[in-house]
Amino acid sequence: MLESLSALLPDMLPVANALGRLPLDCLHVGFMQQAMLAILLLAPMTAALGVSVITFRMAFFSDAIGHSAFAGAALGLLFSLDPLFTMPAFGVLVGLCIMAVRRGSLLSADTSIGIVFSAVVAFGLAVVSRTPGMARNMTQFLYGDILTVTPAELGFLALLALAVLFFAVIGFNRLLLIALDPVMAGAQGVRVAIWQYAFAALLSLVVMMAVRAVGVLLVTALLIVPAATARNLARSAGGMFWWAQGVALFSGVAGLLLSAQSWLGTSSGATIILVACGCFLCSALLAGRQGHRRG
Amino acid sequence: MPAPLPTDTAVRLRGLTVRRNGLTILQDVTADIPRGGSTVIVGPNGAGKSTLLLCIIGNIPFEGQIDFPAFGDPPRMAYVPQHVQLDAGLPLTVLEFLTLTGRRRPLWLGMTGAAREHARRHLDMVQAVHLAHRRMGDLSGGEQRRVLLAGALARRPRLLLLDEPAAGVDASGERLFWKVLTAARQEQGFTLIMVSHNLSLTAHYASQVLCLKGSLLRAGAPHAALTAPTLRALFGVPIHLYPEQCEEPDETCAQCGAHCHSADAPACPAASTAPGRAG
Repeated sequence: MLESLSALLPDMLPVANALGRLPLDCLHVGFMQQAMLAILLLAPMTAALGVSVITFRMAFFSDAIGHSAFAGAALGLLFSLDPLFTMPAFGVLVGLCIMAVRRGSLLSADTSIGIVFSAVVAFGLAVVSRTPGMARNMTQFLYGDILTVTPAELGFLALLALAVLFFAVIGFNRLLLIALDPVMAGAQGVRVAIWQYAFAALLSLVVMMAVRAVGVLLVTALLIVPAATARNLARSAGGMFWWAQGVALFSGVAGLLLSAQSWLGTSSGATIILVACGCFLCSALLAGRQGHRRG
Repeated sequence: MPAPLPTDTAVRLRGLTVRRNGLTILQDVTADIPRGGSTVIVGPNGAGKSTLLLCIIGNIPFEGQIDFPAFGDPPRMAYVPQHVQLDAGLPLTVLEFLTLTGRRRPLWLGMTGAAREHARRHLDMVQAVHLAHRRMGDLSGGEQRRVLLAGALARRPRLLLLDEPAAGVDASGERLFWKVLTAARQEQGFTLIMVSHNLSLTAHYASQVLCLKGSLLRAGAPHAALTAPTLRALFGVPIHLYPEQCEEPDETCAQCGAHCHSADAPACPAASTAPGRAG
């Protein structure tokens, strides 16, 4: 059944191969072309959702989803299913659970996320520890490796990018209104619960794909650092969206290209995040100077 | 064939009761809110005023019945809450905030000229057009309340619900707020339901007052509802808004010399313990 689902994914290899025509030596090899295409698809998604993540103060939420990757992948390995499907499915389930606990209990958001977070990490570790040799397979999720992205994952990323674009068009204003005041948004006809659950599900899918690129440890950074940089630079909410896109794409492309240089030799995920953090540092200095002038 | 809609009652509350965690917040509230009027809910803290608004907008579960005879279905509403926690770091401009409500085009695709004009027109209604390019997080409390009102008006609601819209605004600002609201209501013809603690402005601007303290103590025109006995029952202190209704002596305080309504409080005569403290 999973094989037939894979067959439905679009073939993105011709697009990846087209990147080989760019005048960059490192892009002459197939795995780098696929990694570059993965970043070009992933960065706009993380930037678009990251803007809402920091507006909703949901950084911890995305961290919890990222950590559930262990359990999702472990379940896949345990039942001999492709982690490409079990990870996103489990991530969405966890995301919806967190949102349900958050909406339905009097506990604060960080407490409810913390409870689900602990449960899924413990579950993942329990499954991994029970199966000899599985721990070694899990390290790829801890650190991530975009250079090993598969053609099926590229197809999934392309479909997900379309879904995120659609969501950003119809949901950006509504999510912003909900973030300002959910009761006010509800009174104005916004279906708050539906939008919150849809956002949680989509964010979970994107986080799971981002885990493949930068690993569990750095996945939250990929979401929030470009968006936080955009906050420092933008003068409007619309501008913040585009700044986040620019920073995410620049960090992704520059980080990947830098990591491929023999004189650097660092892991691609960590290099991407370091470039993004460098952008944030510059933006913070710039914002500080502008604030000083205003003051 | 559906029955013809009566046109004089915008909101009909029948036996409205709200219980939460074993506590009764509202008990058997029955009232009619006239269409096109300005209904103000008054009462002490914890009286259930905000809860009543949340019931009308359908945000919390309740027993009893709420319907909208003048409209049939729930009408287009706008609601301004008591507090909006604005994120100071969010670069959302006032113009953008006003286009959030009712515009389908996402902010990141830019604002059309018509959207800007629409937003400016409603900012002008609340005398806040000079704030158009300011960040929401940079506004003062009074400015923020006016922008929130403009955002509600931009939706062109049939029913506008405001929860202490002038809280934290100075005296002149609060009077301006009421004036602006009355002018907007006359222009747009919406029904206004508002929570307020300012009794004198309520007496001046409201067309109907609901006196609430868990249950509805009194409802009617301000002169009939805001009587000294009702206000005493609501707030536990002698207050009279209308001279002819002054049924009890309202002596000045021995400590501060003002009508601070502390004469019956045992702490008040002990002026030496807290000099200058009004009540």
